[in-house]
Amino acid sequence: MIELSGIEKTYHTGGVDTPVLHGINISIEEGEFVALMGPSGTGKSTLMNILGLLDRPTAGVYKLAGQDLTKLDDNKLSTIRNKRVGFVFQLFHLLPRVSVLQNVLLPFLYTDPYPTDARDRAQSLLKGVGLQDRMYFKPNALSGGQQQRVAIARALVNEPALILADEPTGNLDSVASQEILEIFDRIHAQGRTIVMVTHEAEIAAHASRVITLKDGCIASDEKRGS
Amino acid sequence: MRIFRVSRQAGSALWSQKGKAFLMLLGIAVGIMLLTAVVGLSQGVEKRISEITALFGPRAIVIQAGGGRFGGPGDRSASSSTLKLEDAMAIRNRLSERAVVAAAFVTDDIPIKSGDTNAQTDVMAADPNFPQAYDWYVASGDPLDEDDERAMSRVCVLGATIARNFFPEQDPVGQRIMINRVWFTVKGVLTSRGTNAMGFDMDDRLWIPLSTGMRRVFHQDYIRNIRLNVRSADDVAAVTDEATNLLRDRHHIRTPEEDDFRLRTPDFIAQRVRSMARTTELVGAALATVALIVGGVVLMNILLLSLSERIPEIGLKRALGASQHDIFAEFLAESIIVSLMGMALGVLLGLVPVFLIPKLFPLMPMAVTWRTFAYAALFSSFVGGIFGVQPARRAARLDPVEALR
Ligand SMILES: Nc1ncnc2c1ncn2[C@@H]1O[C@H](COP(=O)(O)OP(=O)(O)OP(=O)(O)O)[C@@H](O)[C@H]1O
Ligand SMILES: [Mg+2]
Repeated sequence: MIELSGIEKTYHTGGVDTPVLHGINISIEEGEFVALMGPSGTGKSTLMNILGLLDRPTAGVYKLAGQDLTKLDDNKLSTIRNKRVGFVFQLFHLLPRVSVLQNVLLPFLYTDPYPTDARDRAQSLLKGVGLQDRMYFKPNALSGGQQQRVAIARALVNEPALILADEPTGNLDSVASQEILEIFDRIHAQGRTIVMVTHEAEIAAHASRVITLKDGCIASDEKRGS
Repeated sequence: MRIFRVSRQAGSALWSQKGKAFLMLLGIAVGIMLLTAVVGLSQGVEKRISEITALFGPRAIVIQAGGGRFGGPGDRSASSSTLKLEDAMAIRNRLSERAVVAAAFVTDDIPIKSGDTNAQTDVMAADPNFPQAYDWYVASGDPLDEDDERAMSRVCVLGATIARNFFPEQDPVGQRIMINRVWFTVKGVLTSRGTNAMGFDMDDRLWIPLSTGMRRVFHQDYIRNIRLNVRSADDVAAVTDEATNLLRDRHHIRTPEEDDFRLRTPDFIAQRVRSMARTTELVGAALATVALIVGGVVLMNILLLSLSERIPEIGLKRALGASQHDIFAEFLAESIIVSLMGMALGVLLGLVPVFLIPKLFPLMPMAVTWRTFAYAALFSSFVGGIFGVQPARRAARLDPVEALR
């Protein structure tokens, strides 16, 4: 489903070139749960941003479901991001001024046509992550683990093919982390493709495949039988 | 539709920072308040002009004796004997095809009396053409005619107010009334014209034949004014010129010298009324413009300053599928919504003087029409649109990756 070939990324800031990714070739099949590992500063987040269409590679070709994305404009990329990609961030990134339910509905702001069952979908997803009693709370009334569950519901609400999670448990205690990982296992079992950045081997153990980056190159790529 | 969803986001963002939103709309509210008052004044002036024109007669020209300025001190005494009956005759001979011409001698505060009723009123001594010249006809009885004029008859026609005050019970026609110690017989009563724009009762006057007035009552050999009722509205300007030239010829006035008569047309009066309000309008419009620009700049700067607090939100929305256009639209909508709220407040505040000033100063006309609201909406959305572009563009151009960090 995902095909990266020869992906390079160089940041240009203040007249200085910082090469980060050097010719990444990865192909990910539908339904895979990939853990992305590697030391700090090796370009994991950079790669995630490219996968999520928030950033463009300096060189190389990115194909999602057979479609070459390198030449699409911002409007088209935004539409694809809206419909096919769900993000889960380390810092949750909920909109504090609106309710939990409204947060889950946020992606539909940018979906045309607006699905008639949007509210039902959001509510059943919140139920799925055990937050049916918290739908009308403001995010800051929730614990970190609960907030991350809202974020997962939001990532899933538009039924995207690809879930990108950059250290989703990085800000949670072990109990909450465990709950979040169980949810990811469930999503994986439902057949969704997941790419998750993590530093911890126990978390990576939930994945069906572990890719390790080092200095902007792939150091290892192991598939595991589940 | 997407644009409505995005605008609702803008509304909810504003609602979450009401205090700041209020600051943003304040300048615009002041500008729109001034604009509403100015538009109210100019609408009032136009309304007043059409009232005056309707009363004056849209095709009328009035020539008054004496030079001097309209609305100024004028000179009723010194040179007010400059118009002669012969002038009116000459104008009538020249222009009878194109206008009805009536000469009149007008005096105010003349004592009148009938039975126990006394009053002081305006007496108009006018030639028999006056009903056509003034478009003002008798409601009952008969008009003054050529025979009355020739015979210097002691007959009169009453304005509706005088008829009501002097003869409340009887039919005024055939009754006797004493004007300046001379007995007259009432021949007819005019239709009512009501109050003019200055609050003056047009029906509180009576009319007698011109010859009777000049020779029997007031003993004068001059007239006060000549009124022309031009048959075609397109001809008013040409008739005005011809009458002016004719009178200057007859009075031997050469080019640099000032006229010894004054000539008034509806256009002329409209210009005078407009010019009285012009300074106020210009100052008000200038203040409104300045306030709107200052308001717009304040709005823009507050939006720019608060952008930094919104960076994570912008990054999030981009990640969830917002394009640069969506972010631009959302931030521009915030600016326009604030401006429209400023407009609502400004119109409310501006309507206070629009309703209050005419109550306190009856001569200051104010009116509210659809234009008041159209201009307010137009200018406020314009300001919101223009000054919202820069903050919106900056928000839209943020790098989503940076914004999410
Ligand atoms: N905008 C930028 N301009 C210049 N250099 C950048 C920029 N963004 C990231 N980098 C650099 O790119 C490299 C990779 O960063 P990235 O965030 O992808 O690392 P990471 O693998 O996610 O690290 P971590 O595990 O700490 O999150 C780092 O050396 C970082 O300093
Ligand atoms: Mg990272």
